[in-house]
Amino acid sequence: MTVRVWDLAHGRSGDKGDICNIGLIARSDEAYERLCRQVTSQRLRDHFGALIKGDVDRYELPNIKALNFVCKGALDGGGTLSLRSDHLGKVMYTWLLRMELDDE
Amino acid sequence: MKSVKLGTGLAFWGDSLRPAIDMVERADIQYLCCDHLAELTMSILSKQKSRKPDLGYTTDIIPFLRGVLPKCHERGIKIISNAGGSNPEACAEKVIELCRELGLHGMKVATVTGDDIMDRVDGLLADGIEFANTDTGQQLADIRDKVTQANVYTGCDGIVEALEQGADIVICGRVTDAALYLGPMRHELGWAADDWQSLGAGTGVAHCIECGGQASGGLYSGGWQDMNNLSSLGYPVTEVFENGEATLSKTPQTGGSVTVGTVSEQLVYEVLDPANYLTADVVSDVSQIKLDQVGPDQVHIHNVKGKPAPATLKVNMGYRAGFVGETQFTYTWPDAIKKAKAGLQFLNERLEQVNFKSSATRVEYVGHNSMWGPEVSDPPEDPDIEEIVVRFAARCPTKEEAQKVFTESVPLYNNGPAGASGIGTRPPIKELYGIWPCLIPRELITIKTTVTRVTP
Repeated sequence: MTVRVWDLAHGRSGDKGDICNIGLIARSDEAYERLCRQVTSQRLRDHFGALIKGDVDRYELPNIKALNFVCKGALDGGGTLSLRSDHLGKVMYTWLLRMELDDE
Repeated sequence: MKSVKLGTGLAFWGDSLRPAIDMVERADIQYLCCDHLAELTMSILSKQKSRKPDLGYTTDIIPFLRGVLPKCHERGIKIISNAGGSNPEACAEKVIELCRELGLHGMKVATVTGDDIMDRVDGLLADGIEFANTDTGQQLADIRDKVTQANVYTGCDGIVEALEQGADIVICGRVTDAALYLGPMRHELGWAADDWQSLGAGTGVAHCIECGGQASGGLYSGGWQDMNNLSSLGYPVTEVFENGEATLSKTPQTGGSVTVGTVSEQLVYEVLDPANYLTADVVSDVSQIKLDQVGPDQVHIHNVKGKPAPATLKVNMGYRAGFVGETQFTYTWPDAIKKAKAGLQFLNERLEQVNFKSSATRVEYVGHNSMWGPEVSDPPEDPDIEEIVVRFAARCPTKEEAQKVFTESVPLYNNGPAGASGIGTRPPIKELYGIWPCLIPRELITIKTTVTRVTP
């Protein structure tokens, strides 16, 4: 059975200039550990393809079972310049929720 | 233990006024804290001020205060706001006029200024402040002639000073969102300006509540179906204790919900490195934050740390960056996608015929990939699809170029592939502003606080 990030976590995303940050909050301790193992910066970068032009850094907030991804060059120049309908990156997290995880 | 009760009134310019009205009537709060400013807002406000010297503040502050002020006055609730934007003095004048009109004599209205460095930019450049772009490393010289506004994200010192002078309403310019909350915390809880642990903890709490309904069930992706009565969402009501811990709840008898989940989602919103959440007042470390459900709609926030404030303050400059031209059109069954692509080709050819100039264009198929665009997927060649909407947008050097986008799409109605609709009426052309983030040594910024008593 295909497991997506959405099965293990919920999230939120927003903007700071041309940076989009995507927060994931795991639904359980086991889910958090699995996300930590599988949702690496590189994996996320590959999943988003050309939507993210720069580097991705990952940060951990273990006590609330959250991961925070800071994605540079992710908003077509930033909220004030972007031609995208989602110029503030409000739904960027949903693209991550769709990502399929590997079997474990 | 000493504590202070803070209410979140507004989270952005244009936010709903009702949560604050519900709050001052029903919730137990001492302060109503209101954020009106986003990154783009300062550019818009400075443009308004350049056209009319008594504008340049977020005008929603007046209807907002008209709604809450009588109750705040009666209950002794103080209001902290950054509605001053580019023109805190003009904003304060309007607020004082409103107090007079409402017969609220004796109220003290403060302005906090010193964040606007537009007039000093060239002098500071000559003194060796580089204002290099912190995202790209570019030098300011690249865009200096296009800069329209330069504001420093300032801390809570001016707010604390105003409260010490007995202010009832504090109108600030570009203070940080967190400062709107940290000011009353410092004033009420007696935290020193270098009590990094307390200030760091308070800033973490402020971050949880500064976006209003986003902490109390709004946008909650972990279970939006379970959020009741979102159209009457209650905004955060937060008791902050002397030790920097806090309990977040919301206005009684309102919609939404306060849970570890809803607060967690807000905590990760617009945060970079959670161990180094930089503000003008302190570096807050929320990486080890703990959230506990301590009752219905009550979350306790603790284990947030603080580190000394950075030596530099963040400056956001706004600069003119051209115009955006936009249009959209719809095709229906049969062959909606094929027709949409032909319509798009028609538009591109016509733009070429009028020597259209743009630095970037974008095509989105609404209902298919409007959020992701061509980077992710092309629309399927499904001959049975009911309808498809094409959105075309372009960044252009001038207003005239931007206008061509709509002008050249209008003939789709009569001359293009069969059955175009939904082109609509000519949209206003939007001017674009780029944001130039940079730094300034903090000792170069002096905050000024002025308190005025409302007299008949």
